[in-house]
Formats: sequence, structure tokens, C-alpha cells
Amino acid sequence: MSAVTAVPTALQVPRRPSRVVPTAVAVIVGAVVLAAAAGLPIPWSDLGSLPGQVAHYLGLMFAAPNWAMLPQALFETWRSISMAWIGAIGCVIVSIPLGMLAARSIGPIWLRLPLRGLFAVSRAVPEVIIALLLLTVTGLTPFTGALALAIAGIGTQAKWVYETVESVQEGASEAVRAAGGNTAEVTRWALWPAVAPTLLSFALYRFEINIRTSAVLGLVGAGGIGSMLANYTNFRQWDTVGMLLIVVVAATMLMDAVSGAIRRRIMRGPRAKAARAQREVRTDVARVS
Amino acid sequence: MTSSLTVPPKPRSRVRTALIVAAFAAFTAATCIPAIGGIELDLGAIVRNWSNGSGLLAQFLQPDFAFLPRTIGPMLETLQMAVVGAALAAVVSVPLTLWAAAPTNPNAPTRVLVRTVINVVRSVPDLVYATVLVAMVGVGALPGLITLFLFDLGIIVKLVSEAIDATDLPIIEAGRAAGGTQTQINRRGVLPQTWPLFANQWLYTLELNVRISAILGIVGAGGIGRLLDERRAFYAYDDVAVIVLEILVVVVLIEIFSNLLRRRLV
Repeated sequence: MSAVTAVPTALQVPRRPSRVVPTAVAVIVGAVVLAAAAGLPIPWSDLGSLPGQVAHYLGLMFAAPNWAMLPQALFETWRSISMAWIGAIGCVIVSIPLGMLAARSIGPIWLRLPLRGLFAVSRAVPEVIIALLLLTVTGLTPFTGALALAIAGIGTQAKWVYETVESVQEGASEAVRAAGGNTAEVTRWALWPAVAPTLLSFALYRFEINIRTSAVLGLVGAGGIGSMLANYTNFRQWDTVGMLLIVVVAATMLMDAVSGAIRRRIMRGPRAKAARAQREVRTDVARVS
Repeated sequence: MTSSLTVPPKPRSRVRTALIVAAFAAFTAATCIPAIGGIELDLGAIVRNWSNGSGLLAQFLQPDFAFLPRTIGPMLETLQMAVVGAALAAVVSVPLTLWAAAPTNPNAPTRVLVRTVINVVRSVPDLVYATVLVAMVGVGALPGLITLFLFDLGIIVKLVSEAIDATDLPIIEAGRAAGGTQTQINRRGVLPQTWPLFANQWLYTLELNVRISAILGIVGAGGIGRLLDERRAFYAYDDVAVIVLEILVVVVLIEIFSNLLRRRLV
């Protein structure tokens, strides 16, 4: 009878985790990417001359931008911004009621499901394609461009609306209901005050998205800075194209900065600096989804 | 004892609300003045266009599925562009992101430089890149690929570097205490901890790429968009409907696939 237990000669290290699965995944992803690259009709041998070529054109565009065209560029920029703004207003006006009706706490199920299905389908088709199809029907003018922006954005915007409404805490709704309020009164007095700042912030975000999309609609002929850019690109007037690109970048960054500052102010309120970081993260998560 | 309750002052002044509403109204009005570049609110044009527009819509509602075989090739090209663009951007995004985030790059000038470049890259709309690049390097998949690459790079670097900024990474301090250089800390400490953030954004850009590459062809950058634009120009809306349906199906499939992957990864 011995009281001494066997002393392990080596340290009992847990086994190394298997690397089979990660390796297999890496190999498969690599193979898919390579196969896709090989299938693309790109003359890979010419790729060596590409940097030189791009540098040549960048020189043509930005060495001496043609500032003489600046007044017209600013005029067209304002037209694009107008398209984006009117489009955002239209989109928000339609998507707030529709989105609210699609929220679990407001809409009845027979209305909610078809609405959500509609939003999901319209979200899956790229906005530019929806707008493009609408433009063929309505004709190519800045106004129809704005309308197309408004309609194309409804799917996404309405989704943000119902997600915001559904994320509201139950307390206020219960209180209104306990005081005898019906669904309409709950919406007005409990839900609306809670969601209004977020919805306003999303409305401004729609404006920011529309600024980019309106430039794209211009490329296909709806007017604005995109049309001017497409024309001068076709004319190969690189100095003007360079100037226009500078204007597009500057205008987009400026509008983003202004709109972003207003959004942050809406979401934070004048005093609530403590909750700042948390809210910022939330807005960014919402941006991504 | 006071007889009346002391109420805090009402937080919002009426003047401020009025000013905000006035500013909003003024901006909206300014966007509707054609003389300064605003848009002309002309509902009549739509009414005039309606007769041929409604015909096209009716055609759009009757997709001609005999057209489907012709769309397979361009759709494949679109998917290939999406995958390769996302892969290239994923590779390049790692060093750039680490440069652009404060915890992984304490050197302020280079950090600001990378961030500024990325912000400029991000503020150009995707199709604008494609238009200019098509004029530079010619019609085809190459300008589309470069567009997707630049677009993805902007998104990944911005979102992931901001996420790294917001995360508490005690491992950096540990690495520094152990005498590691910044590169060693990033390689051995930060990357293993942040790679789910990266993977998430890579998948997200893959999803976005499928949507974007479907439209890049409109300006001549290859893929299904080129076919769509061609059929649209011929007013063959029954074919356009097939293409749109196909894009819809592919986008939904990619989203389901990437959601499955994401659930496994994160």
C-alpha cells in the first residue's frame, strides 16, 4: 500500500487546438478568390503599366484644374444637393408612417407582414437601379431625380423606423395604455417623443446618402454635378474633370460634416455628454445595418 | 414650507424652435429655386410622360424568362468582381487600419494623414470613380475592380479603425511593459483580438460589392449592369425585369450566406 501517487514526468499540457478547420477555410477562400480573379476578363499582363497610366491622368486632372468652370460647377452642385434634399424629405414623409405601421407595437399583423416584405424586396434591389427604372418612366429631370431618390430609399428608411420604434422601452407605452389610451394615443404620446430624435437623425443620414446617390443619378442624365462630370469625362477635358472631382469631394465632405454635427447634437442633446460614447457607437451600428 | 412646487424652467425656448423651423424652411425653399440651381417642381412633366411610362411598367411586370441564359455570364462577372475586389481590399485594409487607429499608431501625423486620405477616398461616390476610371483605363472589368477596391478600403479602414479606437485594449499596455515594439504589439496582441471586427467588415463589403458591382456596368465598368443598361436603352423592359429579379435573388442569397458565416465567426 503506497500513499505516493505517480509523479507525472512531463507537464500535462492541453492538446494544441486543431488547425484543420481554419486552414481548410483559408484554402477554400483562397481558391475561390483565385478562381474569380482568373475568370475576370482583365489583361493582367498590362497591369504593370497601370500605375504609370493612372499617374499620367492624375497629372492631367490635378496639375492645373480648370477653375474657370467653377461657377457652373457650384450651380450644378446646388442642383444635386437640392435633389438630395427634396428626395430625403419625400422619403422621410412616406417612410415614417409606413415604418410605424410596420412596427410590432403599432401595426396589426396583416398589415405588418406585407409591409415588411415590401421593404425587404425594395432593399434587396440597389437604390440606383430602382431610381434608374423610375427615371425611364418619368423622364430625366432633376425633379424626377428627387422623386426617384425618395422612392428608392423607402425600403431602408422604413426599416430603420420600425426598428427604432421597436427598440423603445415599454414603460411609457404601458403608462398611456393604463390611463386608457388606444394605439393611436400610445403612438402619439409614448412612442413618438421617444423615437423623434433618432428618426430626425436618420432623416439627415438619408440626406447624406442621397447626396452621393444624386451625383450617381446625374451620371445617367438626371442633371446636377454628376451630369456635368459625365459630359466632361466624355469630352476628355481632364482639367475640368479634375476641378469637378475636387468640388464633389469638397461638397460631400462639407455636407457630411454639417449634417453629422447636427445629427450628433440631436442625439446627444445639449447637456448629455456622459452618454456620448455609447450613443455614437449605436448610430454607427445603425449606419452599418 | 413653500406652498407651490418649484418647477425647473422649461428647457426649450420658443425662439429657438422658430429659428430652427425657419432655417429648415429657408433651405427647402432655396432648393426649389431653379434660378440658383434648385429643382423645378414640375408635376406636369410626369403626367405628360405617364402614357409611355405606364406601358413600360406593364412590360416590366411581365418578365421574359427566355432571356435568363444570356444574363448568367455577366452575372458571373459581377460576382467575380465583387469577390476579387473584396479580397484585395481585405488584404490592404489591415495595415492601413492599424495606421489609422490611435491605439495602434501613436504617431499623430501619419495617423491624421492616413485618415484624411481615407476620408477623401470615401467622399467620392462609387459610380463617379467608375466613370472616371472607365475613361482612363477603358471599358471592362478592370475599372470596376479598382472602384470596388477603393470603395471597400474606405469603409473597412474607417469603421474598423473607429472600432479599435473605442475598444479598451489592455494588451497594448502589457505588450509595452514587456518591451515590445509597436509593430510587435500590433502583430501579436492587437490583431488576434480585433480580427472579428475585420472579418465582420470584410463580409459586409462583400455584400455591398455584389450590390454595387451590379450597377457599375451602367457606366461601362463590366458585369450585369452593362446588360441592364443596354436592355433599358432598348426599352426591353421584360428583359430588364429578369435582370432585376436576378440581382434581387443573388443579393438575398449573398446576404443569407454572409449572415451564416458571421454567426460562426463572431
